[in-house]
Amino acid sequence: MNAFEYVNPSNLQDVPQLLSQKRDRKSVVMAGGIDLLGELKDNLITPDRLVNIKALDLRYIRHSKEGVRMGATTTLSDLVSDEEIVKTYTALAEAAESVASLQIRNVGTIGGNLCQRPRCWYFRGEEFHCLKKGGHKCFAVDGENKYHAVMGGGPCHIVHPSDTAPALIALHATIKIHGPNGERTVPAADFFLLPMENLYQETVVHSNEVVTEIFIPKPKAGTKSTYLKFKEKGSMDFALAAAAVALRVEGGVCKDVQVVLGGVAPKPWQADASALVGQVVTEERVVAFANTVLKDAAPLRDNAFKVTLSKTMIKRGVLALV
Amino acid sequence: MATQEEDYLGITDYKVIGTRPIRHDGVDKVTGRAKYGADIDLAGMLHGKVLRSPHAHARIKSIDISKAEAHPGVRSVITVKDLPLQEDQIKDLGEGAANLMDLRCNVLAEGKVLYHGHAVVAVAATDANVAEEALDLIDVEYEVLSPVLTVHDATAEGAPLLFENQTTKSLGEDTGKKSNVTTHFQHKLGDVEAGFEKADIVVEREFDTATVHQGYIEPQNATALWNADGQVTVWCSTQGAFTVREQTAQLLDLPVSQVKVVPMEIGGGFGGKIRVYLEPLAAVLSKKTGRPVKMVMSRTEVLQATGPTAGSYIKCKMGVTNEGKIVAAQATLMYESGGFPGNWAAPGSMCIFSPYNIADVQIDGYEVLVNKPQTMAYRAPGATNAAFASETVIDEICEALGADPFEFRLQNTSKEGTRRADGPTFPRIGNEECLQLARETDHYKSKLEGKARGRGVASGFWFNAGLKSSASASVNADGKISLVEGSTDIGGSRAALAMQLAETLGLKSEDIKPQVADTDSVGETDVTGGSRTTFATGWAVHKVGLDIKAQMIERAAKLWEVAAEEVSYVDGVLTNSADASKQMTFAELAGKLGETGGPVMGRATVQPPGVGGAFSTVIVDVEVDTETGKVEILRASIIQDVGKAIHPSYVEGQMQGGVAQGIGWALNEEYVYREDGTLANGSLLDYRMPTCLDLPMIETHIVEVPNPGHPYGVRGVGEVPIVPPPAAVANAIYDAIGVRLFDLPMSPGRVLEALLKKD
Ligand code: SF4
Repeated sequence: MNAFEYVNPSNLQDVPQLLSQKRDRKSVVMAGGIDLLGELKDNLITPDRLVNIKALDLRYIRHSKEGVRMGATTTLSDLVSDEEIVKTYTALAEAAESVASLQIRNVGTIGGNLCQRPRCWYFRGEEFHCLKKGGHKCFAVDGENKYHAVMGGGPCHIVHPSDTAPALIALHATIKIHGPNGERTVPAADFFLLPMENLYQETVVHSNEVVTEIFIPKPKAGTKSTYLKFKEKGSMDFALAAAAVALRVEGGVCKDVQVVLGGVAPKPWQADASALVGQVVTEERVVAFANTVLKDAAPLRDNAFKVTLSKTMIKRGVLALV
Repeated sequence: MATQEEDYLGITDYKVIGTRPIRHDGVDKVTGRAKYGADIDLAGMLHGKVLRSPHAHARIKSIDISKAEAHPGVRSVITVKDLPLQEDQIKDLGEGAANLMDLRCNVLAEGKVLYHGHAVVAVAATDANVAEEALDLIDVEYEVLSPVLTVHDATAEGAPLLFENQTTKSLGEDTGKKSNVTTHFQHKLGDVEAGFEKADIVVEREFDTATVHQGYIEPQNATALWNADGQVTVWCSTQGAFTVREQTAQLLDLPVSQVKVVPMEIGGGFGGKIRVYLEPLAAVLSKKTGRPVKMVMSRTEVLQATGPTAGSYIKCKMGVTNEGKIVAAQATLMYESGGFPGNWAAPGSMCIFSPYNIADVQIDGYEVLVNKPQTMAYRAPGATNAAFASETVIDEICEALGADPFEFRLQNTSKEGTRRADGPTFPRIGNEECLQLARETDHYKSKLEGKARGRGVASGFWFNAGLKSSASASVNADGKISLVEGSTDIGGSRAALAMQLAETLGLKSEDIKPQVADTDSVGETDVTGGSRTTFATGWAVHKVGLDIKAQMIERAAKLWEVAAEEVSYVDGVLTNSADASKQMTFAELAGKLGETGGPVMGRATVQPPGVGGAFSTVIVDVEVDTETGKVEILRASIIQDVGKAIHPSYVEGQMQGGVAQGIGWALNEEYVYREDGTLANGSLLDYRMPTCLDLPMIETHIVEVPNPGHPYGVRGVGEVPIVPPPAAVANAIYDAIGVRLFDLPMSPGRVLEALLKKD
C-alpha cells in the first residue's frame, strides 16, 4: 500500500472538487472501506487521495408514502435491522443480510456494495495486467473460470459481486449521483454497464462523482419479494448464482414479476419475465421461463454448472413467493 | 528398561485426570492479554518485509537492490548471499526433517525461484510501509520457465525439472535418472499378487486430492535481536522453540547456545509452524542494523509461501473374498513435495491400510517436486489423502458384498499383534473398540430419511510421535508448584500437563502454575506435533512429580527422624507409618522446606518409546441439493481412541476441530493455481474454509483403551480426527445420490457436474 492523503469533507458540495485532480493523480471515494482496503492492500489501486464520505450525513433510512430513501453510507446492518425494509422491501433486506459476515455488514455500506469491484482472480492478482486493467488479454477465457460469467460476458467475463444490486433492480430503485454539475438520478437498472459498453468501470459513476442516495418506490399492495443466494459457504462468500424476485399475484394470476440474477453476468442480469404475466404461476411455467432466461448462456470451461444453478435459483425464488 | 506393560499404572480412581478444570491460560486468552508475536514492540525496532517471486518457476538473472537501499527509511536489504552457505545435510525437525541447503534456498531464493511467492529479497526499514515501498524499488530480472503444478505434470515425459541434477532415489538406490521424483519407496507384506488371486472381488480406483492449507488463524511472525555480544534472541509463533533455534542457528552458522528462542502464544499451527521462514531473515537484518527487526506475514504470504499440505494422486486396489475377508491391498501414492524435496507419501503409506489386518500388501510411494511452496505437515500429514482413497474403496467393497460397514471393518480390524505393511507390529490399540462403539451410537442407530440424504462412515489411523521432552518444577512455600516446560501450547497442553503433575502429586490442577519456557530456561523439547505433547511431555511432568514426591518424602522423614521408607505419601498427604498421628499435607511440608535443607525442585527429560497409535471412526450424514450440488452436513460423529482423556473438554475440542478441518478439505478447500503457476486464491475470501455456519455440532465419543507405554495410558489426540472425514463425506454423498466422487474437494460445481454426467 502506498502513502496517500486522507480527506474528510463535511460538505457534499466539496466532494466532486476533491475527487477531480490533475492528470496522473487519482482520488477515490471511501465509505465503509471494506472493498477499498482490499484493493489498496492488494496494490490494485494506488490512489493519491482517499475522500472519506462518512462525515456527510448520508447514513439514513427515511420511509414515506412514496417509498424509502437510503443514504449511501447506510450500513448493510442498518438495512437488515429496519423492520419496514424487512416487511416491504424484503428482497433488499435479504440481499443485505446475505453479504459476507456480521462484522462486515456492520461497516459495509449500501453505496459501497453497489460500487465494489469484481472478485475475478486475475483482476485481483497484481501480476495480471488483464483487459480490465488496460492489458491485452482476458486471462479468464482460457484460465480458472469456475466463478466467472455465463451470460453477458466478453471481452471481460467478470460477474458483478453485489448482492443488493439485483434486489434494488427488481424493486425498481433509482440511484442518485452527485458530481461537478450537481445531481443526476439513474434507474438501478441502468446503473451497471457491461464490459462491451465500458471495459474499465462496472457502473455509470464517473471518477469525480459519488453515489449519495438510493430510492425505492413503494411496491404496489400485494407485492412480495425475495433474494435467494447460492454460495459455497454459509458466510463470507459471494454468490455463485442468485436471484432477486418481486412478484404480485392477484386472484391467482401473476400481475407483475421481476427477476434479476446475480453472480452470473458482468452486471445484474434482468430477465424478461413478461411471459409469466397474466398466467397462473406453476412450477412448469417457471421452469420453462428459467430455461428461456438461460437459453443463450455461454459458459466457459469450468462453469457450466452455473447454468443449472441459475435455473434452480429462478425456480426456487419465484416459487417461494407464490 | 521397563517393559511397556509396566509403564501403565492402571489407576482406576483418578482425582484430577478426567475432570474439566478451567485452563491456566484461559483468562489471558479471553481478555485479550495473552501476548502473541505480532504484539511485540521493542525500543528502536525496525520492520521487515519480503519481496516475493511473481513467477512459479524462473531463473533469477539479476537482482538490483541499490534503489531500495537508497530509499529514505530503509536500513538494510538482504539476499541469499547474506546467509552462510550450507552443506547438503538433513536435520531432524521433530516432525519431518529438513535439508539445510534447501532450507536456505527456501527462506531466500538462490539462482532460481521455485514457486509463486518464493522469498527473494528482505528489507528492514523504519516502518512497515516504508519497507513495502522499498520492495517496489527492487529490480529482479527473471528468465521465466514453465512450471509443473501437479504430480501428473511433474512426472510427464519431458516435464521441466525444478532441479536440473535431480535424480530419483528408488528403494534406497540412486537410479541416476533425471526426474522431479526425488524418492520412490516400497513397503511389502506377504505376496500381493498371490493375495489378489484369492480375492473374489477386487476394486481399484484412482484419486486426486487438492493442495490445502492448515489455515491457522495467526500468520507467521518473527522478531529478532542480534545483540552486540553476538547473542541472538528470536520471538516467534512456533510449534517448537528448539527446532526454530536449531534451524536458525544452522542457517546463521552459529552455535545453538548463542540463539535463544522465545515462543510467544500461538494462534494455531496444525503442523505448519515448524519450518522457519522469517526467523533467519529477521536475525540477519538485525545483525546488519544493530536493531531489533520484526516481520509479520500477510495472509496472502501465508497462503503463497508457507507450507500447505501435499496434494496427491493415489491409486488404490483391494481384494476381498465373498466371505468378507480382505486378502490383498495395493496402493501407489504420489505426493507433492512442493518446490523442495519432501516426505509426506511416507507417513501416508504407514497409515493407508493400517486399520485392517491384511496378509498381502504392497505400497509404493513417490515424493514429487512441483512448483508450489514446499509442503508441510497438516494434522496426520499424508494420512487423510490416503484414507480418502482406501476408505472409499472399502465402501465400494461393502456395497458389493452387501455388508454393514462396521461389521465388515470389525471382521477385518487390526488389533494387538497385527503387523503393519511398513513393519511395526501393533501393541494394544483401540481400533476394534472404536468400531464397536460406533456401531452402537445413537447416530448410527438412528434412521436417516429423506430424499438425497445419505450416510457415510470411514476409519483412520495415525501413529503419533514420542520424541524428546523436558520439564522442571519448583515447590513454593505455599505448597503451589511452578511448572516450566518446553512444549508450546496450541490446544490446551498447559492444562493437560499441569493436571498430570497434579495427579502424580495428589494435588489439584489449580495448585500447579504451568509455563512454557524459552530455550534457555528449559531442557530440549521437540515440537508440539505428532500428537506427542500430552503423551511425551506428560511423561516428563509425571517423572518430575515422582522426583518431587521422593524429595518431599525425604524431607518429612528428616522432620520426623524416621527412615524414608516409613513415610507414606497418599493424595498429597504425608504420613509417618510408624506413628499415624504424625501427618502433614504437601502444603504444610512445603512451608517447612527451609528447615529441612532448602528448596525442592523436580526435573526430568524423557524420550519415551511407548508411543500409542490412534484410531478414529467418523459417521457423517449429508443432504445433497441435487439442483445446486451443495452438500450439507446434517450430522457428524467421531469415535476416537484417545488412550486416556486428561482434560476431556480439550480432547473433544481436538476431535471436533479435526473433523471440521476434514470437512473443509472434503467440500471446499483447494489451492487454485492459474496456468502460469501463480496462486489464484491467496486470501481467505477466495480460499474457502468452512465457518461455523457450514458445520453441525460435531458429536464426540471418547474411547479409552490405555496406551501401555504411558503411566496414565495417554495416546495423543490431535491428528487422527482429520483422517476419516473426507472419505466419510464421499461415502455419504454416494449413499445420498449414487454418485462416487474420486477428487477433492467435492465442491458444488463438481457434484453438480457429476450428477449431470450420471443422468
Ligand atoms: S474476466 Fe475481466 S477482470 Fe477477469 S481477467 Fe478477464 S478481463 Fe480481467
